[in-house]
Amino acid sequence: MAVKTYLQAISDALRDEMRRDKRVFVIGEDVGVYGGAFKVTKDFQQEFGPWRVIDAPLSETAIVGGCTGAAIMGMRPVAEMQFADFISCAWDHLVTVAAKQHYRAGTAVPIVVRLPSGGGFSGGPFHSQNPESSFAHIPGLKIACPATPADAKGLLLSAIEDPNPVLYFEHKHLYRRIKDEVPDERYTIPFGEARIHREGDDVTLVTWGAMVYTADEAAKQLEDELSVEIIDLRTIAPWDRETVLESVAKTSKALVLHEDTQTAGFGAEIMATIMEEAFEDLDAPVKRVTAPDTPVPFAPPLEKWFLPQVEDVVAGLKDLAEY
Amino acid sequence: MATQTAVDVVMPQMGVSVSEGTITKWLKAEGEEVAADESLLEISTDKVDTEVPSPASGVLTQILVPEGETVEVGTKLAVISPEGGGEAVEEPPEPATQQAAEESADASGAEGETPTAGKVEEPPPPPSPEPAAETPAPAATPEPDGDGDGQGRSFVSPVVARIASEHDVDVGQIEGSGRGGRVTKKDILAFVEQGGAKAAPEAPPAPAAPAAPQTPAAEPARAAVPAQAQAEKVEPAAGETVEPMTPMRKGIAEHMRRSLDTSAHVTTTFEVDLSKVVAIRQKLKREYEERHGVKLTYLAFIARATLDAIAKWPWMNAEIRGESIVTKSYVNLGIAVALEGGKGLIVPVVKHAEEKNLLGLARAVEQIADRARNKKLMPDDVQGGTFTITNPGGFGAIHGTPIISQPQVAILDVEAMVKRPVVIQDDAGSDVIAIRPMMNLCLAYDHRLIDGAYAAQFMRDLRTNLQTWDESAY
Amino acid sequence: MAIAREAEPVSSIKETKEAGLDREDLLGIYRNLILTRGIEERGHILYKQGKIPGSFYTGRGNEAAAVGVATAMRPEDVGTPLHRDMGVHVVRGVEPWRMFAQFMGRVDGPTRGRDGNVHMADDRLGLIAMVSHLPAMLPVAVGAALAFRIREEKRVAVGWFGEGASARGDTHESMNMAGVRRLPVVFVCDNNQWAYSTPTHLEFACETVADRAQAYGFEGVVVDGTDVLAVYREAKRALENAREGGGPTLIECLTLRMEGHAVHDDAFYVPKEMFEEWAKRDPLERFRTWLRENADFTDQEEGEISEQVKKLLNDAIRKADESPLPEPDGEVDAVYATPEELETPHHK
Repeated sequence: MAVKTYLQAISDALRDEMRRDKRVFVIGEDVGVYGGAFKVTKDFQQEFGPWRVIDAPLSETAIVGGCTGAAIMGMRPVAEMQFADFISCAWDHLVTVAAKQHYRAGTAVPIVVRLPSGGGFSGGPFHSQNPESSFAHIPGLKIACPATPADAKGLLLSAIEDPNPVLYFEHKHLYRRIKDEVPDERYTIPFGEARIHREGDDVTLVTWGAMVYTADEAAKQLEDELSVEIIDLRTIAPWDRETVLESVAKTSKALVLHEDTQTAGFGAEIMATIMEEAFEDLDAPVKRVTAPDTPVPFAPPLEKWFLPQVEDVVAGLKDLAEY
Repeated sequence: MATQTAVDVVMPQMGVSVSEGTITKWLKAEGEEVAADESLLEISTDKVDTEVPSPASGVLTQILVPEGETVEVGTKLAVISPEGGGEAVEEPPEPATQQAAEESADASGAEGETPTAGKVEEPPPPPSPEPAAETPAPAATPEPDGDGDGQGRSFVSPVVARIASEHDVDVGQIEGSGRGGRVTKKDILAFVEQGGAKAAPEAPPAPAAPAAPQTPAAEPARAAVPAQAQAEKVEPAAGETVEPMTPMRKGIAEHMRRSLDTSAHVTTTFEVDLSKVVAIRQKLKREYEERHGVKLTYLAFIARATLDAIAKWPWMNAEIRGESIVTKSYVNLGIAVALEGGKGLIVPVVKHAEEKNLLGLARAVEQIADRARNKKLMPDDVQGGTFTITNPGGFGAIHGTPIISQPQVAILDVEAMVKRPVVIQDDAGSDVIAIRPMMNLCLAYDHRLIDGAYAAQFMRDLRTNLQTWDESAY
Repeated sequence: MAIAREAEPVSSIKETKEAGLDREDLLGIYRNLILTRGIEERGHILYKQGKIPGSFYTGRGNEAAAVGVATAMRPEDVGTPLHRDMGVHVVRGVEPWRMFAQFMGRVDGPTRGRDGNVHMADDRLGLIAMVSHLPAMLPVAVGAALAFRIREEKRVAVGWFGEGASARGDTHESMNMAGVRRLPVVFVCDNNQWAYSTPTHLEFACETVADRAQAYGFEGVVVDGTDVLAVYREAKRALENAREGGGPTLIECLTLRMEGHAVHDDAFYVPKEMFEEWAKRDPLERFRTWLRENADFTDQEEGEISEQVKKLLNDAIRKADESPLPEPDGEVDAVYATPEELETPHHK
């Protein structure tokens, strides 16, 4: 088992899958010669050639719409949005065409859209967003948000295998910062199965993506006074309600943490579910720690204010503990 | 622009996802002069190799990281001091921005990333080189104590309420450790574990109060804990004694309150001449006792006459379910039975009472009342009532305004039989005063369903049934 | 002065032979034109009888454009026809009774009542179901062409759009990408001159939509959309060019939408003279006349085809009407595809 960065895990998994399955191809802006804005597809074009590692014009609509057409013709396209933020340009094709084609016409659309997301490096309003909740609202789409290198590999392979459109959010802040062991063999991780990142008895903390590490740090700081169970959802469409509800039944207190903004964020869905399904298990109101309802600011102090920090999570956990 | 104070040179962030860089070469040696924007060192990162321009003009007084070493973005690499300044004074670095300009040309490039010069705040994830507590948490920190937050110890969370109900615990008896003294889940679990729970589920045979009959069997325990019961603990004042309510009492309290909140109660009273009933009872009493072993009570007569009246006025035996009126073809007749010493009230039910004659009713009422007093009732005995008769007349009451047992719509209150002078007509049609055994019957009914005229006609027929008792019919 | 080439009309039987059509094919085209119009006329009646819920759209005036292009396609080619392109479904072999079932929201419609109108396609016949957002299917057609190019298959994708849809960015992105990559795709613009109530001069400022092709690096051609043989010839040329690696072509079929946008629209905004003028160029009449003058089309043949189509339609409506309305059953499960669905020849 090799230790890899999150980025390398994604890159290697994609490369191995392209070697294994000739239907898989990559399309996006600067994915070929340049190897992708973050170098996920570095050297891919040398190996697979310009027709399987396609440098597209600056046309998100045509990229995602084109993937849909190619997928219907039996290919397994993996599109890269240079930044998750740019998916807004392809909204129509995901939401209007790809997401609805199976329900209305019975046509499977097995596409993967890779979405480098998240902030923490002064990317500003257009290079830092986490737009997953917008898509979680759309029936027909699936959404993965891996936090670890091993999950990044397993979920990417699941996404490619899946007969539906999958949005694969890869957090930019984890790319080179997070290193961990990744099994060498090919494996998939099923969608809708959360990972218990840390076991605990007092408070359930539900999160995903980069916030898993923020949660982890907060839990460590409170180790002596509070036992925190961290659930890394891994996929939010579908999401693992059972694991969350089981944990809440045990702890009776829950905090939902996400890097996306608050209003109608996916945390609201989780809270509503806990309220509906586990009301009589609750010993405190369900709490959330999220970004405020603003665009992602640029200047470091503003961005720090925007992103949920370890201190915010600690304060939230303490508040629940004291309730 | 020469620097006035010492300026730090830090490892720049050469790309959005880059977290560290390696120093490949220092282009200046310690002690050497350097101009602002002049190349100072070369670095290599995952994404790019580049030269780092000096953030200020001055003397490179200190190199902190040697060539070949890899450090995190934001790590201090060197210090530039004012020219001739000699000793570098450690001061907090300015938020240097000089560097940004040079890089901004790249901003239109693929990543649109802007390297952050100066002190780089390590955002959320792992090992943070800076103490996380540098700034207070922006999130609103809650008040440490519950004063004034309205969530004092009286608030019972859903899980605590559930546990209290399951173990029949009075939350008021538990010391709360939550905010404002609130009883937490841990508190109540500890309390239960220490045997704090009162003799719980074995309690009285299911919920015995009038609440019982209609409570779905599945959830008796939860329904039996009304919200008021979780009020704070009561301290006795001088001359007072305090005892906790029994579960039955709590059930009665909750049910009575709920009934008044549900039904539009109206009571109507009819006066009945029982001369005929008294005569018949006198005649049958012995035979019933000797041949059937049954005590023939006035209640049995009233029950039988009531059942006949119900047959003509079926809404008396109905219930309001949502916005529908549900009328029943059978009568499960509830008979309110007082337990001794004011311990409570129980309403056993005679099932399919309409099928029984006077003898059958007399026997059924006797049996079920015995079972109630001897605590031998089965759960089924107190469920499914459709009309109730209560009998405080046995103690001499002559008028009452009973409370309906939900979800029924009427209850008949049987008062004491009293000999009174009444004006009647003699055979010649003249008014005369006679002594007659008179009884008041008070009917409380739910005006949502039953109007006054309907109730009065029901009572009129009930009175007629009793006053013109047809012996042969029973 | 238009930039795009203007296609000549087809005049002689000799030309059609050169284009690969024998007399049998010509009669087949005539039958498909009649059937196309028949389906829409009967649908129109069903709609007015309250048997079709929602709205009802027809492609009256566009029959020759749709039938002409579809006739030029090979079975292995694919396409994304729109709501004025009933003729494409007819030529590709969708059974009329399933079309009526679709209109009426019945379980035997290709979408099983989950979508209505012509929002349908039988993917076994190489068609991909359209969405309302025009021209959102153009990138999908380009993607299909991309798949063919990657796999080096000699297949072509046809993407349809209207002149109104030409104003949207999808059109630009699709043509640009197809041009850059010289993909085997043919863009067909059904220019019926009215996007709902908006005339062409408020949709684009160039003379023809096909003029734009030059900017994307491929040929644009304007063809009379009421001349089924001219449409066929141009489509055939474009398809074979794409098949041989010559890249895309933009064909603009000029017609007039002979009815309102949908049944509820009386098209008061279209000048009466315009309707009168274009009525003289009715694509069915035009082809019937041509057949009589050039291919010895007899009264008997015409009568036989007419009877045959009439019977087909009667049977189709009866059969469709026997199909039940759907019950909500497994709706939520139908949102996502299962892995087994990828076990089709396409996905091997």
